[in-house]
Amino acid sequence: MSDEARIDGYARGLFEVARAEGTLDEVEDELFRFARSYESSDELRQALSDDQIPPAKRQSIVEDLLGGKATPTTVQLISMVVGAGHGRDLPAIVDRMVQRAASSKDLELAEVRAAVPLTDEQQVRLKAALANATGKNVNLKVVVDPSVLGGLVATVGDTVIDGTVRTHLDQLKSRL
Amino acid sequence: MSVAAAAVASLHRLVPMAEHGTDDQGYTSHHWLFPETAEIIYGGLASVIIIGLLVWKAGPAAKKAFAARTAKIQGELDDSAKARSDAEAEAARIRQALGDIEGERRRLLAEADAQAEAMLTDGRARLVTEVADLEAKAESDVGAAGSRVFDELRGEIARLSSAAAERVVAGSLDDATQQRLIEDYIARVGASA
Repeated sequence: MSDEARIDGYARGLFEVARAEGTLDEVEDELFRFARSYESSDELRQALSDDQIPPAKRQSIVEDLLGGKATPTTVQLISMVVGAGHGRDLPAIVDRMVQRAASSKDLELAEVRAAVPLTDEQQVRLKAALANATGKNVNLKVVVDPSVLGGLVATVGDTVIDGTVRTHLDQLKSRL
Repeated sequence: MSVAAAAVASLHRLVPMAEHGTDDQGYTSHHWLFPETAEIIYGGLASVIIIGLLVWKAGPAAKKAFAARTAKIQGELDDSAKARSDAEAEAARIRQALGDIEGERRRLLAEADAQAEAMLTDGRARLVTEVADLEAKAESDVGAAGSRVFDELRGEIARLSSAAAERVVAGSLDDATQQRLIEDYIARVGASA
């Protein structure tokens, strides 16, 4: 089985389980946040993708990290993926699952990276602004990413709306 | 008796008569020099006969021998003339060949001189071209080195400037500024429909 087929299969499985549990919105949001944390943490990535660590140990790490902070469904799904030895595919599987969830609701996934967390009110206004700018109803996913320094960057499908300080600094560097 | 024998006998008879007027047997002659008339006739006839026989029998052979010798001598003369002609022709050919060799030598020398001159001219031209290429390459290398140093310097300045700008910007990004950037972004995106 190719990587793409495997990722798509796991994404479909996660999506179906969450929808059957009736916790699709919560689970996809928690999975998305965990995937971003996984990407940004070398230590977490190393621990969950190291084949030398027994699957049970990797699953216990997930449970220790998310126990009480996420729904049981989210914890079980991540444990399943990590226990099956596909920890390094977790971000791709989650992204594909979130895409599937957005599509099932006729929404377009809008991934927003910000240096600081957005308030709920800011997220509502940003969601409306992005829908207005792209002409699509969006499923907003905010990722706190200190590397952008300041401002926001939103990715909606193939459209990227960049207003980060990092990009301005990079442009300044290029001009220099 | 042959003519010669008769002549010898006559002489034997005459000598004593000349000395003594008689021979050893006492015979005398009428003259100390001339023989008897009959003897002259006999001797003359015998001589004529001998000469005639000689002319008749030995003449053709002698004539043939003389003709053959003449032909041989003529042949030798002709051979000599031919040999001389051949020698003169060979000498002329050798002189011709010597002339040709001299001409060939001059032609080869002229050709060698022309080739040497051409090589010299070509070498000079190539040398000039190579020197020009080397000069151009040297100038290019100097220019490239200068440009590279300039680029490195510019890159280093840019890196330092960027790092300094990042530090300054990061230091100035307090909560209020972060919120203002977020609000500006939302307003700008919302207005970009």
